[in-house]
Amino acid sequence: MTAHVPQLIDKLAHRRHRERAAAGFGNVNFLKQAAADRLADRLEIVKRHFPLVLDLGAHHGEMTKAALASGKVDRVICADPALGMARYTAADIPSCVVDYDNMMFGEATFDAIMSAFSLHWVNDLPGMLARMRQWLKPDGLLLLSMAGGVSFSGLRSCLAEAESQTAGGLSPRVLPMADIRDLGGLLGRAGFGLPVADSDTLSITWPDPFHMMRELRQMGETNALLGRANHMTRKDTMMQAIKLYQDRFQTDDQRISAEIELITLTAWSPSPDQPKPLKPGSAEVHLGDFLNSDQDNQQD
Amino acid sequence: MSNTDKASNSGAGSRELDPILLEVLVCPVCHGPLSYDRARHELISKQAGLAFPIREGIPVMLVDEARQLDPDE
Repeated sequence: MTAHVPQLIDKLAHRRHRERAAAGFGNVNFLKQAAADRLADRLEIVKRHFPLVLDLGAHHGEMTKAALASGKVDRVICADPALGMARYTAADIPSCVVDYDNMMFGEATFDAIMSAFSLHWVNDLPGMLARMRQWLKPDGLLLLSMAGGVSFSGLRSCLAEAESQTAGGLSPRVLPMADIRDLGGLLGRAGFGLPVADSDTLSITWPDPFHMMRELRQMGETNALLGRANHMTRKDTMMQAIKLYQDRFQTDDQRISAEIELITLTAWSPSPDQPKPLKPGSAEVHLGDFLNSDQDNQQD
Repeated sequence: MSNTDKASNSGAGSRELDPILLEVLVCPVCHGPLSYDRARHELISKQAGLAFPIREGIPVMLVDEARQLDPDE
């Protein structure tokens, strides 16, 4: 099945970046934390209790901690592509190392699955959603937050422009990220019901573009695209990109800013007792009658 | 690998395999059941002929990190 999915992401490189980032991740986890906070807010308004929950792409367990603090969750299992990350989850949290592309949990196992700021690193998102639906019990909750397509678009364009100016060509550098409209559709196609998607954009500032790129590396969010250039970026390319970035994205206080779009998604695995739209033609009152009577009232 | 303070504070080094992981995990290759080899710190998938290592109580369910089982194992 996965053979037909275009592979964009070098999984081994992404795992390596995450392993390398693991020890220091706690110092740069603000995007992870922002994503986890949004999902915790969503959990807050759900009038349900979730005995067993999966936290996929768990990093140090930030989302797990927030979910347990909500009081709506009994047990959480953390799963991450990197052992280094999993070692930092609290000792009483069961943790495992997984490949996102595999079916490594039993069907109908979890009451909820959540994932904060990780699943933009999945090659086959439709397949991932389909697997998550299988891992969920009926009427189970899916809570996802990931980086959306607007994120780091300024960095993408500056790197592309600098590379074509200095090296005379282009190589993939910034991960293509999902669009909110696509994600809503993907949830439906994976068989989820009652999908809700929204997005908000954070504006983060750094002293300069070097700091920004260094911090992305410390988060394990560096370029792990399969077609990436397999050599260090030329110095003149990097300097040109930094100059372009500084010119275009400087703030009033001489820092630089970048926009990060966080897409938050919730959906439910199907169950017979969920609210569903009625069949077309099954209404007992004619819509026209209703509209006419309303008009009559207004005329009175 | 050098343990940083944070990891040792969280007790990662002394972590035991949580039995709930045996209830939720299946073989990532054949989706069949796994058995726990306590002595060797491995999760065994007989059907796929693979042994997945457990490091510091954390099962590593990656096929490229798994050990091929001998036919008589």
